[in-house]
Amino acid sequence: MTNLLSIVLWLPLLAALPLALFPRRADAAIKGWGLFFSLVTFLLSLKIVLGFQEGIAGFQLIESVPWIPQWGIRYSLGVDGISLWLVMLTTLLTPVVLLASWNSIHKHPKEYIIAMLVMETAMIGAFLATDVMLFYSFFELTLIPMYLIIGVWGGANRVYAAIKFFIFTIAGSLLMLLGIIYLGALHARQSGGVPSFAVQDLYGTALSPTVSTLLFIAFTLAFAIKVPLFPLHTWLPDAHVEAPTGGSILLAGVMLKLGTYGFLRFVLPYFPKASLDYAPILIALAVIGIVYGALVAWVQPDMKKLVAYSSVSHLGFCVLGIFAMTQASIEGSILQMVNHGLSTGALFLLVGVIYERRHTRLLADYGGIAKTMPLYAVCFVIAMLSSVGLPGLNGFVGEFLILSGSFRTYPGWTTVAATGVILAAIYLLWLVQRVFFGPITNEENRHIPDIAWNELLALAPLFVFIVWIGVHPNTFLRKMTPSVEQLLAQMSNEKPQEKVMTASSSTKDSGLRTQDSRKAVSR
Amino acid sequence: MNLTPLLEAHWINAILPELVLCIGGMFLILFDAFAPKARSLTGPIAVVIFILCAWSQRFVAVGTFFGGTYEVGGITRVFDITFVLAGILCTLLSADYLEREGITGGEFYALLMWGTVGMMMMAKGLDLLIIILGLELLSICIFVLLGFQRRLPVSNEASLKYFLMGAFATGFILYGTALFYGATESTNINVMARWFANPDVTITPLLTVAFVLLMAGFGFKLALAPFHPWAPDVYQGAPTPVAGWLSVAPKAATLIALIRIFHAMGPVLPQTKWMTIVAWLAVLSMIIGNSVAIAQRDLKRMLAYSGIAQVGYMTIAMLTINEDAVASIAIYTIVYALMNLGAFGVISMLAKNQNDPQTLDDIAGLGWRRPFHALALAVCMFSLSGLPPTGGFVSKFYIFRTAVQSGHTGIALIGIITSIASVYYYLRVVYYLYMKESAEGQTRIDGGIFATGALAISIIGIFLIGIWPTPLFHAASYAAHLLLAR
Repeated sequence: MTNLLSIVLWLPLLAALPLALFPRRADAAIKGWGLFFSLVTFLLSLKIVLGFQEGIAGFQLIESVPWIPQWGIRYSLGVDGISLWLVMLTTLLTPVVLLASWNSIHKHPKEYIIAMLVMETAMIGAFLATDVMLFYSFFELTLIPMYLIIGVWGGANRVYAAIKFFIFTIAGSLLMLLGIIYLGALHARQSGGVPSFAVQDLYGTALSPTVSTLLFIAFTLAFAIKVPLFPLHTWLPDAHVEAPTGGSILLAGVMLKLGTYGFLRFVLPYFPKASLDYAPILIALAVIGIVYGALVAWVQPDMKKLVAYSSVSHLGFCVLGIFAMTQASIEGSILQMVNHGLSTGALFLLVGVIYERRHTRLLADYGGIAKTMPLYAVCFVIAMLSSVGLPGLNGFVGEFLILSGSFRTYPGWTTVAATGVILAAIYLLWLVQRVFFGPITNEENRHIPDIAWNELLALAPLFVFIVWIGVHPNTFLRKMTPSVEQLLAQMSNEKPQEKVMTASSSTKDSGLRTQDSRKAVSR
Repeated sequence: MNLTPLLEAHWINAILPELVLCIGGMFLILFDAFAPKARSLTGPIAVVIFILCAWSQRFVAVGTFFGGTYEVGGITRVFDITFVLAGILCTLLSADYLEREGITGGEFYALLMWGTVGMMMMAKGLDLLIIILGLELLSICIFVLLGFQRRLPVSNEASLKYFLMGAFATGFILYGTALFYGATESTNINVMARWFANPDVTITPLLTVAFVLLMAGFGFKLALAPFHPWAPDVYQGAPTPVAGWLSVAPKAATLIALIRIFHAMGPVLPQTKWMTIVAWLAVLSMIIGNSVAIAQRDLKRMLAYSGIAQVGYMTIAMLTINEDAVASIAIYTIVYALMNLGAFGVISMLAKNQNDPQTLDDIAGLGWRRPFHALALAVCMFSLSGLPPTGGFVSKFYIFRTAVQSGHTGIALIGIITSIASVYYYLRVVYYLYMKESAEGQTRIDGGIFATGALAISIIGIFLIGIWPTPLFHAASYAAHLLLAR
């Protein structure tokens, strides 16, 4: 298939269109239709992995046709080591979400499935686009279905959360739009009036320091809001708490990664000088986010809010890894994006499961439910350990790579960041202890039905990948190495005076891969 | 005096679309008078006449006519299509609206057609006097259309307000024209252009006064701040389809007339502060329009303020007249016609006493009662706020891109920041549509087949331009090239 990427991209949207004609009563048919096509999308996306050639740094499976030729905008798709696993994460999480919400969405199920499928196309499109304007179109398109998902199917305070989410994100992205227009105009002038918005074409645009800094701020603001980076994170707890379970999973699992992905794809290679100059600030904010998110999560009385703040903390690690700019830390970052999608997705799913049954998320209402819901407790503990970073599970690999990579360039901040790992262990273990162990204090908790088949089925693939990444991360890291190497090389080419340090590292312990040399851009 | 040299060959082809509409309007009045039983057919016939007018564009002769006072070219064709599109959408919406409100009269559509002729004259006029003639023809039609629901106090108020204010505005334009005539010795735009191109020309304060008067008059027609206060009141009181049409088509006609005038003044603009004045008008419109719209609960008033802001965006592109500027304004007006008339269309279907305001509460929970109509309104809102993949995104992108390329990045930045605020009130409509439970005694949506068809045209157009804008861009930039290549 030469149009493999296009098929994977558009299939969910095409499946959503006929759903509009389904009769409202055909509940099972609607859900089955949505689940079926999201599964087909996932299976087709496996072909992307199979067709992906290792050892190639640039985009693969490229498709490119002119879209708006007058402005040099092309409909061009491609996948490389940075985007591959994020696309897979999206196609994996969508069927998981649809399966998990099989019985929990009672209000307007048809529109819910349509919104989810549109959302999937928008997110895949953002990761696959190799044209800046195409990326931007999909990046913005994700907002509309997510706004509706939070606002229509969310909790009590959903409207406030939905509008806050929308305004925050669009404020950043509109400024970035102006940045993109400016960058495109500069490129057109420098290339003799031939406009282009292709990702690679814009890499070579020469920028004066002032312009570079301003554009860097415009882009960084957009992505920092999306991640979200401290202190721009305030929309996230609201959105997460109010969103329905499926919305939270997609929001945390995939949408936040659009921010970190944007840093890697656009900010670092377009503005290498500004990125190096401002990296200390961003790293400081990331580390503050790690510690702050963990501390706030610690004191949350609400389970979902706790997981939401843990996202602020975990995404801080990703940003730290990106701006530390070493091979290991960036690879760790990309892996951690996937890890966070899996483990936080599982945690949100599990919180949703118990909320469905008891209609409360307050920790104080629980205690000792391991006795009434043993299977559920096991699942929760696995997801929790993955999030904490237990060796042998996925979280450990990502955090270890980020911390060991970042320590090379920013030892001080990395040391502070490492406390985030400890804090994560504290708040998550304490959560499990308060909810699952001890005596049953609340009589209502004596007879909660255990986890259902559809929920278990939804969790299963997540757990498979949680263990797979933990035991054999090389399957995943191998494919991203050349792209990350190229990214760092690009940055050091831009700055010839920067010393490219080749350091040998042996991170053989605990089943991590060995790689003889890693390039690191050091200051 | 022998008039024959004034009538060039093919002059009848040059004004074919206008002739179709003039005769069509007369026919409708006669049809209404002689066949009162077939009154329900007047709407469909009006649509057919508009389509005939669009079709007649194929035979239009291109060139300058009537002694250099009337220019037909690619760009006028593009704008003619915009006017006809707005006319068709308004007719379709009115067909159902008038029937529900119990108003009959073929003269409604006739006035719409003659107003369209006025706009076509404004777009094609190569002489300030022709532009003013077109403007007056348009204004007289608007006065009557606004007051068409003569039993409703708000409708009368709207008509009277527009009449009084509009008379002043025309006065300003005439006075400005007279002053320009005094300096350049002609009202012909080509002659004025030659005069301005003379390197020895000195810009006297009198000319600046003339320019300010001209901008005040045209600014009124465009509802540019600070000449905007009539707009909310007039839109609120007008029959809703007319309000939609008024918010779109006359603005497009005024913009193309201004493009011609600015282009003629091109050589002297660098040594004057005239464009600074225009830039301030744009900035004020964007700020006032977007911030006051947030406070509106009445949908038509909200759209009025949003329209003030939208004209602000279009004015940004006019600060430097080049091919991109002309093409981007042409495309923006087409998209704006689709999305604004779509939004007014849904409001026109609210079956309630038209003297009362149509507020956000009337559309609460509409998304689950009338999915198609709610979807149409939501699409129009997302397009107005400039989100992909709608036409609103593409056209707004084009405007800002043009501004940045001409070096107006600062004003583009203000545009971007104010449009962040605009997202809030556009989004609030979507919030009422889908996230608010409908209240007791909910307002019925009464959309017949014609009005629903108009909404379908809007949605399809918005997505078509948003996803595949290339053919439109080709046509618009080629037309813009021809206009400026003189």
